[in-house]
Amino acid sequence: MVDFELRRDRIVARWGDQKYEWVIEPRYWRNPAIGVALLALLPLFIYSYPNVLTMMTTANLYAAVAIPLGLQMLGTARVNFGPQLYLGIGGYTAALLNLHFGFGPALTLAATILVCAGIALLLSPTTWIAKGLYFSLITLILPLTFLDVTFIWGDIFRGEVGLAGMSPLLTLGKVTWNYLAYFYLSLLLMLSYLFISDKIVRSRFGVSLAAINENEDVARMMGVDVDRYKIFYYVFPSVLTGIVGWFIVHTFRTFAGVTYLPLDFMVKILIIVIIGGRAYVYGAVPGAYLISIVEDSLRGLGPINYVLFPLVLILAIIFLPRGEGLWGLYHKRHHRDYFPTLRVRRD
Amino acid sequence: MLEITNVTKTFGGLAAVNQVSFSVNEGEVVGLIGPNGAGKTTLLNLICGIYKPDSGTIQFDSADITGQPPNRVCKLGLSRTYQIPQPFGAMTALTGVLVSVLNGKKRPNMSLSDAVPEASYYLEFVGLFSKRDTLARDLTLYELRMLELARALATTPKLLLLDEAMAGLNFTEASRALEMISNAREQFGITILWIEHVMKIIMSAAKRIVVLQYGRKIAEGPPQEIATDPKIIEAYLGARYAQNK
Amino acid sequence: MNETVQSILIFTFIWGSIYLLISLGFSLICGVLRIFHLGYGVTFVLAAYGVWAFMENAGLGLIPSILLMLLVQIGFSIFVFYKGVFQRYLDREEILLTVSLLIFMFMAQLANYLYPVTDGVSIPTTLSDGMVTIGKVKIANQMVLAAFIGILVTAVYVIWFLKTRTGLIIRAISQNLPAATLMGASVNRMYYLAMILSVIPPTVCMLVIAPFWGIDPFMGSPLLMTAMLIAILGGLGNLKGSIVASYLIGFIHSSVSFLYVSRFMGLAALIVTLIVMIYRRGGLFVGETIW
Repeated sequence: MVDFELRRDRIVARWGDQKYEWVIEPRYWRNPAIGVALLALLPLFIYSYPNVLTMMTTANLYAAVAIPLGLQMLGTARVNFGPQLYLGIGGYTAALLNLHFGFGPALTLAATILVCAGIALLLSPTTWIAKGLYFSLITLILPLTFLDVTFIWGDIFRGEVGLAGMSPLLTLGKVTWNYLAYFYLSLLLMLSYLFISDKIVRSRFGVSLAAINENEDVARMMGVDVDRYKIFYYVFPSVLTGIVGWFIVHTFRTFAGVTYLPLDFMVKILIIVIIGGRAYVYGAVPGAYLISIVEDSLRGLGPINYVLFPLVLILAIIFLPRGEGLWGLYHKRHHRDYFPTLRVRRD
Repeated sequence: MLEITNVTKTFGGLAAVNQVSFSVNEGEVVGLIGPNGAGKTTLLNLICGIYKPDSGTIQFDSADITGQPPNRVCKLGLSRTYQIPQPFGAMTALTGVLVSVLNGKKRPNMSLSDAVPEASYYLEFVGLFSKRDTLARDLTLYELRMLELARALATTPKLLLLDEAMAGLNFTEASRALEMISNAREQFGITILWIEHVMKIIMSAAKRIVVLQYGRKIAEGPPQEIATDPKIIEAYLGARYAQNK
Repeated sequence: MNETVQSILIFTFIWGSIYLLISLGFSLICGVLRIFHLGYGVTFVLAAYGVWAFMENAGLGLIPSILLMLLVQIGFSIFVFYKGVFQRYLDREEILLTVSLLIFMFMAQLANYLYPVTDGVSIPTTLSDGMVTIGKVKIANQMVLAAFIGILVTAVYVIWFLKTRTGLIIRAISQNLPAATLMGASVNRMYYLAMILSVIPPTVCMLVIAPFWGIDPFMGSPLLMTAMLIAILGGLGNLKGSIVASYLIGFIHSSVSFLYVSRFMGLAALIVTLIVMIYRRGGLFVGETIW
C-alpha cells in the first residue's frame, strides 16, 4: 500500500500517486532528542510531587495551544487574538456529550474534531473578508462572546462553576500513576503538534506559507492558492486546539469556560508565542514552561499573585531579547532562515 | 494568444481603462506605452486578475480568463513583474524563486529539495546564483529586478507581462536586463507584453506597440509608425523625442 | 405609544448617550494615533479607584480627588502608555497590543487587591436624587443627567474639532500624517494632546454613572468591549461613526433587553456588528480618519 524507500538522506513514502519526502537530518536530532529525553525522564524522579507534574502537564498543554496558533498566524497571515475560542468549543463539546449522552472519550474526540472543524469552516471567511485590523479584533471578541453565551445558557454550560465529573481518559490504580500517565499523554500531544508543525513549515508548504505571510497579492500572482491555504490553515490549527480542549476535559475532568475563555488565558498564550521566540514552532515549549513555572511559583504567594503575574509578564516582554525571545538564547538564527513578522494591520 | 476585447474598468466614476481592445500573438514582443495615468498598469492588473473588468472579455489561449483569480491565471501560463519590485523581503532569493517553482504550475509530487535545483537554474539564468542566500531586502535594484524576472520565469509562463522593467536602471544595467529578457524569450519561447517608459529600449525591442492615453487606445502599430504619428507625439512623446530622433 | 416602545426609545437615548462617552476616547486614539488601545479600560479603573483612593486614604474632598485623579490619569496615559508602550513597540504591533492589555489587567487586579468589592467602593457623585417620569417610563434623574452630560461632552469635542485651529491640525494628522508634518504640524505635541483628550470622556462617564452602575475592579472589561464594538461598527477611529454606532448599539441593547432577555445584549450587539462587517467592510463610515 505505502511504499517506503530509504535514500541516503531521506525517506520517501509513496502512496498511490502521492509522494512524501522526509529529510533525515541527523545533525539536528541530537539536541531535540536530548530535550525530549529530559522532559520524558524528569517526571520519573519527581513524581512524588504531584504539583510539579501538574505544572508540567499544564505547560505541555499551553505549548499545545501555542504551536497551532503560530502555524495559524503564519498561514492566514493574520494575528489571531482568540485561540482559546476553539479550546472552549472543543472542551464544551466533549464535556457536554460525555455528561449528557454518555459518549466515551473516543467518541467525544470524533465529535470535537467535527464540531471544531465545522465552526472553523463557518468562520474561515473572516480570514479574507476582514481586512486590516478587523480580523484580529473579531478574534479578540469572539471568545468573550462565547463566555457570555456560557453564562447566558448557564443551565447547560454552568457558567462560573463549570462542568465536572467527565470520564477520565484512563485510570490506573494509584492517583500518582494517573498524574504521570496524563503528563506523558500531554507530552505526546505537544510533541506530535510540534512534529506536525515542524514538518509543515520546513516543507514546500512552508515556503508558500512564508510567501503568503510576506505579500499575499504577489503570492497569489505566483500561483499560490491563497484562499485555500487560508481556509486550511485556519481550520486545521483550530481543530488541533479543540483537541487540546478535549484532552483537558478528560484528564482534569472539570471544564469551566471562565478558566479558559477570558483575556487572561489568551494573554498567556500570546506571551508564550511572543516570549518563546519568533521561531514560533519550537519556541513555544520553553515559553510555555516559563509561564507555567512563573504562574505556579506566584500562586504560592496568595491573592497577590493575580497582581504580580501580569507585572512579571510585562517585565519579561520588556527585558527579553528583541524578537528572538527565549529560543533565540539557545539557537542563534541563521540569517537566511525565514523570520516571520507578525503584522496586525493588513491591507 | 491574448485577446483583449472592449475591456473597461472604472474606479468611482473615472474610467481607468476605457474600451481597450488589442491582441498579442504568440512569439511577439508587444510594447504598451502611454503617458502617466494612461491606465497601463491597470490594464495589466485586469489581465492578471487582480481587478475584475466592468465590461469586456480577456481571452488567453482561447480560454476566457476575464475576472479569474490571479493564481488561476498564473497556472494557465501568465506571469508578471512589478513596476516597483515586490520581493518577499524576509525570504532569500532562492526561497522567493522556490515559491514560483512550487506553485507556478501543478506539481503534485515535487518536494522542497526537488525544487531547489530548478530554482537555482532560474537564478543562474538571470545571474543571481551567487546571491541565492541573500535576503531579498538586501539586494540592489538591479538584482531585485532580476529576481522579479527569475520569479516570473520560474512559473513557466507562456505570456510574460513586464511592468516597467527598466525603470531606475542605469545604462549598463538596462542593457544587461534587455539581454536577459531576449535570452528568456529565445530560450523559453515566451511572448512578452511590455509596459515601458524608456523609449529607446521599447522601440527597438518591440515588434508592435500599443499606445494608451486616458484609458483609451489611441494607436497601434510598428514602432516606426508610432514614432512618427503626430497624434502620439502630441499626446505623449512631445517635441523632445522628435528632436532626439 | 405603548410602554415597551417608549422604554426602548428612552433607554436607547440614555444608553446611547452614555456609550458616546465610552467610545469617544477610544475612537480618538484609534483615529489619530492609529493604535488600537487595548489598555483603554485602565481609564475606567483609574477614574473610579483613583477618586476612591484619594478620598479614603488621603482624606481629600470630592473635587480635589477628582482633580488629582485627572492628573494621575493624564500622567499614566502619557508616561506609561504613550512613552512606555506606544513609542517603543510601534513597529511590533502585536507586542504593543499585548503589553497594553497586560497593563490593563495589572491595574484591574491591583484595584481588586487593594480595594476588593467587599469594601463597598462608591463615589458620591450623585447630582440629583429621585426619579422622573417620561411618558409611562420612570427613570432615575441621574441617568438622564448622565445622558445629557454625554451629549454635552461629545458636542464640545465635535465643535472643538471642527472649529478650532488645533482641532483642524489633529484632523489633518489623522487624515494624512506625512502631509500634515510637511505643513508644519508638530506631531508629537498633537499626539500628547490626543492622549490627554482621550482620557477625559471615560473619566466623566465613570463619575456620572458611578451612582447607578456600581463600581467593581473588572468593570473595565465589558466597557472596553462595548467601546470596541462601537468603534468597529462605526468605523475605526471615526468620530461620526462612533456617534452613530453608540446610538445603534444603545438601541440594540435596549431593544433586546425590553423585547427579549437582557442577558443577550452583548451577543446581539456582536452579531449585528459581524453582519454589518460582512456587507460593509470597515464599518459604517469607512476611512480611519477622525471626521
